[in-house]
This record gives sequence, structure tokens and C-alpha cells, in this order.
Amino acid sequence: MFPLDSPWNISFAGCGFLGIYHVGVASCLLEQAPFLVANARHIYGASAGALTATALVSGVCLGEAGANIIGVAKEARKRFLGPMHPSFNLVKIVRHMLHHTLPPDAHHRATGRLGISLTRVTDGENVLVSNFSSKDEIVQACVCSTFIPVYCGFIPPVLQGVRYVDGGISDNLPQYELKNTITVSPFSGESDICPRDTSTNMHELRFTNTSIQFTLTNLYRVSRALFPPDPMVMKAMCKQGYKDALHFLKKNGLLNFYGPQRHRALLANAAENDDYDDDEEEEEEDVINAHEEEEKPNVEDGAVLVQSSSSVEEHNIFEHLPPTLHRALAEACKERRSLAQSLSNLLPVRMASTLMLPYTLPVESAMSISVRLLEWLPDVQEDMIWIREQMGKMLNHVLRQASKSITHVSARFSCQLELHHYQSLPSQLSSANLFPTWVNESSSSFLDVIMRLDQYQRQLLPGVLCINMDLQGSFKTGPLTPDKSPASVLSTEGATLQGHCLNTPPGPDSGEAVNFY
Amino acid sequence: MDPAPATAPVPNDCETESSSVWRWWPSWRPTSMSLLKSTEAKILACIQNDLWARFVTLSNQDRIWTLTLTKKMVRKPVEQVPKTPLVMVHGFGGGVGLWIRNLDVLSRSRPVYAFDLLGFGRSSRPPFPTDPVQAEEQFVNSIEQWRESVGLENMILLGHSLGGYLATSYAIQYPSRVSHLILVDPWGFPERPQAEAESQGSPGQGAEVVKRPPLPRWVKAVAAVVSFFNPLAVIRAAGPWGPGLVNRFRPDFRRKFEDLFDDDTMTQYIYHCNAQNPSGEVGFRAMSESLGWAKRPMLQRVDQLPRSMPLTMLYGARSWVDSSSGIKVAHIRSQAYTKVLLVNEASHHVYADQPEEFNKVVENICNSVD
Repeated sequence: MFPLDSPWNISFAGCGFLGIYHVGVASCLLEQAPFLVANARHIYGASAGALTATALVSGVCLGEAGANIIGVAKEARKRFLGPMHPSFNLVKIVRHMLHHTLPPDAHHRATGRLGISLTRVTDGENVLVSNFSSKDEIVQACVCSTFIPVYCGFIPPVLQGVRYVDGGISDNLPQYELKNTITVSPFSGESDICPRDTSTNMHELRFTNTSIQFTLTNLYRVSRALFPPDPMVMKAMCKQGYKDALHFLKKNGLLNFYGPQRHRALLANAAENDDYDDDEEEEEEDVINAHEEEEKPNVEDGAVLVQSSSSVEEHNIFEHLPPTLHRALAEACKERRSLAQSLSNLLPVRMASTLMLPYTLPVESAMSISVRLLEWLPDVQEDMIWIREQMGKMLNHVLRQASKSITHVSARFSCQLELHHYQSLPSQLSSANLFPTWVNESSSSFLDVIMRLDQYQRQLLPGVLCINMDLQGSFKTGPLTPDKSPASVLSTEGATLQGHCLNTPPGPDSGEAVNFY
Repeated sequence: MDPAPATAPVPNDCETESSSVWRWWPSWRPTSMSLLKSTEAKILACIQNDLWARFVTLSNQDRIWTLTLTKKMVRKPVEQVPKTPLVMVHGFGGGVGLWIRNLDVLSRSRPVYAFDLLGFGRSSRPPFPTDPVQAEEQFVNSIEQWRESVGLENMILLGHSLGGYLATSYAIQYPSRVSHLILVDPWGFPERPQAEAESQGSPGQGAEVVKRPPLPRWVKAVAAVVSFFNPLAVIRAAGPWGPGLVNRFRPDFRRKFEDLFDDDTMTQYIYHCNAQNPSGEVGFRAMSESLGWAKRPMLQRVDQLPRSMPLTMLYGARSWVDSSSGIKVAHIRSQAYTKVLLVNEASHHVYADQPEEFNKVVENICNSVD
């Protein structure tokens, strides 16, 4: 049961283009449990999650937000290399859309409530920004939070004089550890609202706090985070978000079982109804808690009932996606069938354009780069100063490292001279002994192969070094050159090696058998 | 008994077995049985009650690392009422150390046994067959032989995740030994939905089709490649970066035990448990298919549990393990005592996320036994 008596937060995970899932979740929360959003103490977000969080806090129409995301995705899909095409400028599009969509007083509504996760470039630390003095600052914070280095560009944007990049790099699910944080993630895992894949895989990893279960669907989702899928798929994701949020509300007894008219009313004057609604919910909550404590032994009965009724219920409400959102999404998904487009979809035309790519791509790149340069003009001075600083720092670092390593070089060379004899031993041992062992075992794990390869590599590497050293030796160390006459060295070493092997013949074999079966 | 002499000769044999020739060669993975031992010792140092840790040797010479906890100071009254002991079985890739927040509390009223499953933690790591039936048999046999060697007549059996699966399997085969079966977020209960596995467009799952576009071929190809490897091969292949990987991708373990250890003891423990040569993992792989489904789902067999055996299933509310399979079990065993409980604010590792709640529930169950 979700405890409503203490303040709670909502946290949206970063997820690139899967942000459309958040829109679905947010619209469900707004529609089915508006008090949950209106009374949340903080709404956090990282990367794409920050966009939805901003939209929620500033009261933007979610349909528009969803349509925007799909619009960006379509824009990205239009080109041959997708979002990697040089003329696709994600930062510019996001900035433009935010400016266009956000209300002028967004910063008043957002300050103190909205928390945007950012990664500071200088030290890689996470920063949660929640004070905004103007709408521009919110937009800039969102841009910073979505700025994935390399993918979006190379020069990180500035917010309040500090350079930031994607918040997902340091904390993808801000404040998830607070007890009363509703975590929303489009990857199935252990978040409060996330898709439930029917899988029982017990491997799960945490990408900067976002729990991602190791399933095939998740793998697909991760791949789609940066390379957007078809608009219809995105719409399906949005619906999935709506459904999962509904499931969460139901599971926690936060869902109002009233007619749809009431929801509209609630949406319209959410502010007035909030208090009333909240009290009511709390009461309901208490009742449920009491019920739970009393009847713990019979919980399964209640759960069974909920489960069996839930599927029907879910479908009923599912049909009634918020009409504005539905319409906006459908609109966004629609392909505008102009003559030019249908022409370009013909196979010969597509083939021709693909074939022409080597010629068109440089031209397009040149054009987009010059456009970018023009747009960059106002910031050039600032950015150049920054770049110069960074270069200076880097040079400094490299120089310091180099001077350090130079002092070690002589010592290391002498070490290698010493090592030479010992390290040529195992390479012979391995070629004789190792190969059959790991080939024979059919059910061996990948790891063993990797280990073997690594060992080979390690054995080969000193060999290479040794060759170098041989040259060095011939130049510098006079006494070593006679030593290098191959026959004598190899024979003595070979002899010792053989002796070694003969002494413990069952050792390696049995050992391997035990280990790498 | 004194733990020291029992544990002293332990580490050397495992190590010498594995690397007699390669010993001098720097290991690719920064791990060893003795490192695992010292990390575990750091964790077990938190235990306040009487702890007896030793290897229990099975008839086939496999050795099971076992903890026995009894309440301090109450040696005399214990004589009069020997209470049914609680036996805790950890999940995949874990070890006895993960129970650290539960052992002390639970051992207040009765002896508590916790052991490393065969092929996991500090127990022996024998080769496992690739046949699912045989692999499961080997696990279950090891538990039964362990019980014999320890000399328990019956027990309250608690299993988490994979341990829950094995505990159920054990209870089916040796029902007289189990007084109460507690399953915490058990793995391997649901059956793999055929419709999803074969073709996405099955008419029976209309809703599923809407939300899940068919997976592209490359995803399936990746899955096929991945299924060749042991589940945690990445950690071992990463070699010196392995501990960092665990730290980076499972920071939750560190956070769960933050009030006990403020360094990365726990993630190190997890690393050392799993960076050794895979054995239990091989067994798990044999029993599972296609990224985590059980080849022999427990839901099909759970009716073989005797009706007289009470069963409690404990699920984390946030866990990825779907508690609906618990409800299905309750349906199947409608005549028998079956409880399904949800622990709020808890992930898959219920016992570590909400230790108080978990301990309370388990204690209540134990008290209901005797």
C-alpha cells in the first residue's frame, strides 16, 4: 500500500525516445489520481524523464508533449542514418519545442517542485536543479539533461554558468531511494511503474539507479532509446505506460472507481477537489491498511479477487485513453501522404537515393555543418574559451603522466630483462598443453575461453616485448648479446620446462578438468 | 564448539585443487576462496548470537559451508523444548552472508541453519550435469545429504529465489522432513507462455500483441548467443574489472546493507561468490531456458506437495517476480494451508530490503510450528 500520510515524490527515469512511455504514465496519473501529481512534493526527472516531469509540473497538455516526442522521432527516422545524420540537430529541436510548449510562467510553477538531474562536466557529479529564475532556464536545464555527449554534440551546454551533460550518466532515477518515491521507468525491472515482462530472469542490473531486468524486450527497448522506433510502436509504448500506471494505482488502492465524467470534472477543477480527494484517499487507505493487518492470513483471497477483476477493469478503462492524448498521438502518427513522399517511397527512388548516398551525404553534411556554424556564432567565444581551458587541462595532465612514466621507464626496462627468461616459459607450456583442454570440453563456458585467450595474449605480449628488448640488448648491454644466441637459451629453457612438466604431469590436466568442466 | 579449528584447514584445499600449476601466474580475476572467506568473515562479524561455522561433508565428499546459530546464554532451558530449526536456502549467485540482517533475529527463538548451496558461495563446486532433471536432483540430493550429516529430523525450510525452487523440489521429495515451507520470491514457478515464445500474433493474447511489437531478429540472435554462456560469465570475463562491474551495476546491494557496512563489503562478497569457477551456475543453466524460464516449472508440480504441509509464499511488492504465480499456487492447493503475503517497499531481496517485516513474518510462521 502506498502511504499517503507522508510527503511523496515522483521520479521519471531517463530513457531517450522511450520518453513517450512517461507521457502515458503521466496522463494516467493525471486522469485517474490527480491528487497524486498535484500534491507530490517533488517531481524528478533525468534526461527524457525531465521533459515529462517539466510538462507535468508546468501543466502542459500531455497530448502535445507526446505528439512532440513522436514528431522528433519521425524527424530522426526520416534520414538515412537516423539520429546520427549530421543534419539532425536534437538539441535545437528540443529547445524549440520546449520554448513553444511551455507556458510563460513555467518557472514559477516549477521552482521547488521540479528536480532535474544533471551531470556536471568538471567532476562527473550529479546535480539536482530545482530553482529556476526564468522559463529559459528551465528549457536550458532540460536541454542539459538530455544532452548525451557525442550523440547530441561535443560541446556541453551551459546552465547558470556551469557546463552539464545528460543526468542519466550519473543518476538516471533521481531520489529513488527515498521511501516515498514513485519510480517510473520504461524498462521492466523493479521500479514502481514499469512494464511487466513475463519473464523470470533473475539477472538484473542497475544503470545509474535504474533497475533493468535482463530480458529480450528490455534489450530491444534499450536499443530503441537512442534510435527511435516506428511512431505506431511509440504510441503502443505510450499506451503501455498508461496501462502500467493504472496497474500501479490499482495495486495500491489509489484508483477512484468512479464514472469517467467525474474524472473529467476532476481534471477540470483539480485544484478545488484536491483536498477533498486527498482526505478521501487517506481514509480509504486507512481502511485498507486496517483490513490488511486484520486479515493477513487471508490476503490471498483478496488478492485473488483483485487479480481476477483487474483484467476486465483494465481493459474497460484502457479503451478510454485520454481523448486529447489519443487524438494527438494518432495525429502525430499519421503520415502526411504528399505526392513527393509517396514518390520517394517507391523502390527505385529509394534505391537510387541509397546509391547516391556517398554523394549526397557530404553535401548535406556540409550544409548542415555550415548552418550549425552560423547558429553557433553567438556562443563561439564562450565555447572556445571553454575548449581552450579543457585542452590546457588535458595537455597538463598528459605532460604530468608522461613525466611520471619517463622516470619509471628505466626501472621497467631492467625488470623486463629479468622477466624475459621466466615469461618465455609458459608460452611453450601453453601451446603444448592448453589448446586441447579447452577445445575438448564442449560445454565449457565462454569465460574459460576468454581466460585462455587472455592468457595467450599475456604470454604473447611479453614475447613481443622480449623481442624489443633483444634489440635494445644488442645495442646497449654487451654481455647479453651472446646470451641471445637462440640455440643455447632455448635448449636450456626447454629442458627446465620439460623437467617441470614431467614432474607434475597430472597436475595441470586434473586441475583443468576440475575447473573447467 | 569452537569455530576456529573447524575453519582453519578449509581454504587451502579448494585453492590447491584449482590451480596447482597456474598458481604463480597472476590471476585474471582478482578472487580466490580465501578472499571470499575473509570478506564473509567481515560480514559474519556482525552476528551477536552464538555462531558455529563449518563445512559439512557429504557422502560424496562434497562439502557444504554451513552456519549454525543458537541463542546466547540460554543453554539450559534449550534442553527442555528442542524447537524445530529454521533452515535458510539462499538464491542464485548468493551465499549465507546475504542473510546477515535476518540470522540474529531469527535465531532468538530457535536454532537457525544457513548453508551455501552446492556450487555456490564457499561450498564445493562440483561439475553439474546439463540435464535439467539430473541437475535439480543433484541440488536436492545435496540438501538431503546435508540434512543427514547435520542430523536434523525435520525443519522449517525457507528458500529465496532459486533456493525457493530447490526447497519446493526438496519438499516434494522428502515431505516428512519439512514442517513448514516458506518461499521468498521463489524462482521457476510460472510456465513459459508458449504464445509469446512461438509467435507474437496469437489470438489468445490480444492485449499482449498491442503492447509488444514483435522483437526484431537481431534481439533473438543476441539471445541465442547469450544462452551459450553461463549467466554470470561477464563478471568473470571482465577479470580485474569484475568487482567494479558489480559495484557499478548492482549498487543496490551496497545500499541495502548500508547501515551495517559503509564500504563495498557486500558487493565484494557477491563478486567473490560468483567470480569463482562456475558450478552451481551450470546447474542453474541446465534447469533454465531462454533467459530465465524454468524448464520444469514448479506450478506443474506444486500439487505434489502433501496437503498437510503448510506453505507460505512471501513476495516483494516491487519485485520482478510476479506474485500472481503465488496466487495460482494457492488455487492449486486450495484445500491445503497456503498463504501468500506481499511485503511492501521490497524488491526481489525482500529479506534485505525490509528485514524487520521479513523477520517478523518468518518468526510468526516459526512460532506457529512450535
